[in-house]
Amino acid sequence: MLWKLSLTGIKSRFKDYLILFSGLTFASAIFYMFMSIATNSTFLKGALVIAFKTTQFVFVFGIALLAIITFVYIVYANSFLLSMRQKDYGMYMMLGARTGKIGTLIFLETLIVGFLATILGVLIGVGLTQVVSQLLINQLGLQIHKFVGFYLPAFIWTIIFFAALFLLAALWNRHKLVKSNVINLLHEDQKPVKLRYNKVWKFIEAILGIGLLGIGYWAMAKYQVLLTNSITIGFFTITIGSYFVFDSLFTTIINILRNNTKFEYKKLHSFTLGQLKFRLTDYTRILSVVSLLFALALGAITVGLNFNNMADQALESSYYDVVLYKKTPQVEHDLKKISVKSTKTFNYKLIEDNKAKNPQTIYVSKDEIAKKNLKYQNFYVNKKGQQAYSTKTINVKELQKGSSARTEMMKYQLTQLTPYPGAGVKIVSQKQYDQLRSENKSVELLMVNNFRQNFANIEKLQKAAVTGSLNDDNPVLNSTKAMNYRFVSSMASGFEFMGFFLGLAFLAMLASTLMFKVLSGANSDKPRYKMLWKIGTRQSLLKASIAKEIGVLFALPAVLGIIDVLFGLQFFKSLLKNPYDKIWIPFTIFLVLYLIYYLITVKLYEGIVLKDNK
Amino acid sequence: MNAILKVNQLTKTYGKKGEKQYQALKGINFELNRGEFVGIMGASGSGKTTLLNILSTLDKPTSGNVVINGKDITTLKKNQMADFRGKEIGFIFQDFNLLDNLTNRENIALPLSLQNVKAREINNQVEAIASRLNITQILDKYPAEVSGGQKQRIASARALVHNPSILFGDEPTGALDSKSATELLNTMDDLNKNDQVSILMVTHDPYSASYAQRILFIKDGKIGKELKKDDKSREEFYQEIIAELGRR
Repeated sequence: MLWKLSLTGIKSRFKDYLILFSGLTFASAIFYMFMSIATNSTFLKGALVIAFKTTQFVFVFGIALLAIITFVYIVYANSFLLSMRQKDYGMYMMLGARTGKIGTLIFLETLIVGFLATILGVLIGVGLTQVVSQLLINQLGLQIHKFVGFYLPAFIWTIIFFAALFLLAALWNRHKLVKSNVINLLHEDQKPVKLRYNKVWKFIEAILGIGLLGIGYWAMAKYQVLLTNSITIGFFTITIGSYFVFDSLFTTIINILRNNTKFEYKKLHSFTLGQLKFRLTDYTRILSVVSLLFALALGAITVGLNFNNMADQALESSYYDVVLYKKTPQVEHDLKKISVKSTKTFNYKLIEDNKAKNPQTIYVSKDEIAKKNLKYQNFYVNKKGQQAYSTKTINVKELQKGSSARTEMMKYQLTQLTPYPGAGVKIVSQKQYDQLRSENKSVELLMVNNFRQNFANIEKLQKAAVTGSLNDDNPVLNSTKAMNYRFVSSMASGFEFMGFFLGLAFLAMLASTLMFKVLSGANSDKPRYKMLWKIGTRQSLLKASIAKEIGVLFALPAVLGIIDVLFGLQFFKSLLKNPYDKIWIPFTIFLVLYLIYYLITVKLYEGIVLKDNK
Repeated sequence: MNAILKVNQLTKTYGKKGEKQYQALKGINFELNRGEFVGIMGASGSGKTTLLNILSTLDKPTSGNVVINGKDITTLKKNQMADFRGKEIGFIFQDFNLLDNLTNRENIALPLSLQNVKAREINNQVEAIASRLNITQILDKYPAEVSGGQKQRIASARALVHNPSILFGDEPTGALDSKSATELLNTMDDLNKNDQVSILMVTHDPYSASYAQRILFIKDGKIGKELKKDDKSREEFYQEIIAELGRR
């Protein structure tokens, strides 16, 4: 009989259940998708073998964060479920149902809902993974041929993780229903809220909060001095600071607005402010968590997309775009597809002496050096601690100076232009050079138009040039601009992919968490809206008030999160040339998605609280 | 005497055509004059809540019309209905219906805020009605911090702050102890006699009803008997109501 009652209960609130169910399904789908892409070794190896270990570390970190946010998410989704059900179950208990029976009922209901949602979620996740990974692979130009959405370990882990979460949730719900009074269950939504507090403490808290945030931001910017300490300091100060700010500063602002009678007594302002104040006390924890996650998610996307610039940096690391050692027919063929800006020929002779310490020596004439004005990119760390390159010209004077660092650097750069990167360098007069008994060798140094756009052809040409003249696995290939670019860009796209993906998964989770928190309060807000409607408030005014109230709840953590990111990016200055470059792109993508979540929440909330007002 | 409320051939049928229908109101006719205090009594399911919902524009009748202060409210559109409630009607509910997250002052000010009255004017009017109802001391407290009787005074202040044409009471003493209930009824009586507030109160409590000048008994969706207080004392009228209730 109780089963039947319970099922009818679900049926009558089908729409609310649909929200809950789709939310849970979505969570498990996201989790599976992340697990499968993050742990799938074929994918990571395909992305880049060398960076595999670093990448995996970051992915593990990402999974840990995702697990935490999923946990928080399930807690709130579960409280939404409980808020829907406790009145029903309280009523059954009032009618004489045994608590044990009710406990079993809510336990099983939670488990079944969770289980079905997880299964469905994983199935959707498989499809999503297929689509998303393909999309990203194409977008980022990764070299992966086979990637299947279904990955067994990810499947198993997702099921285990969610089963554990729902078991906990089911036990919690059972505990909550069995241990609380029937009266409390029936009138949970009418519990009084604490409305008064110590104003002095709030003021101190607000100052403390801002101060702590300031220290955190300062620590992020001073990473050069504090090194890894800046992460620890930043983590604690920003977390506690955010909590204090939400607990005090915003309530204080609302109080100031409430004291301004002109503002207060306009339309529903007093009601909206009252709702917000009441909410903020209740929402302090979740808003702090959401603001931090917002910062992490937005930061991940921003930094991820910024890694693309690393590839640009790779272009700066060597001066000449293509180096041709020998003109084979293949090279000639590939060369036709490239628009060459300028060509420079560099002549040298190679003397091999197997008895000497360094068996290979490159001889270059002074005239050649003076005439050709060969250039190279000099690496240095600038005053801001950023890595940078400056263009230098190889000159005779420096080369002959002896053993200064710059001389060694120029000699090294000379050898890099030849297929003999390990050789020694000797500078001789033109006369001596002519007398050397060795064949004159030359390399062609090309500057091309549109390196990035033509990269595929340029890489092909460079490969042909190397394989045409040397063994396939010659280390020379690694020092050419094309290979440098390939290496860095594939690593960067791996990071970009991960940042983007992690950011989106986080966003989805945090926004849905906030959504469920708002929606789980909807049932107790219902009488308030009904009353306002009864005393003659237009429906449009009620809707405007809802939009404002939820808007503020969404905006506050977003604003704080954005500020966190703007300061947090300071931390990446050592790694990325300009972390703030094109920052509007990730910000726009992120905010648009966040806005969509906001609009959905407003619609769902309206559906619950304004349902009965005809 | 001019009527502030005219109800003419009012019916209300629940359920769609072709389905099982239930007629809650079967042709109600009555008038309420300006400055009159009328009680409506009836058992559960007699249709008194339905009637009150229609009179207060929360629901629409199936046929018939209702004129309040010269305006036929049954022809109003959704927004007009809301505006009408906000301007012309004052409401006191059994469970107060105060907003627990607003101070009492803010609760009382709400109907005026909705009409875009200037802040200074709102303050004046709130202060005026508060001193009239003797609640000035508790204006800056929250509803949760005052007693049930005080809550209902706050609710009454909210119902009257915008000078409505008519005050509707829906079992206003239902959630009060006898002392608070008597206080509230005396206040309503006072407002009616000295400020000429027109009151329509729905109740099933004979004691509350004895404060009215006239009582309409509603039964099975129709108005049956009507009792008038005239020159009788409140106690005599109370006995008459009890006798009438015993007859049914």
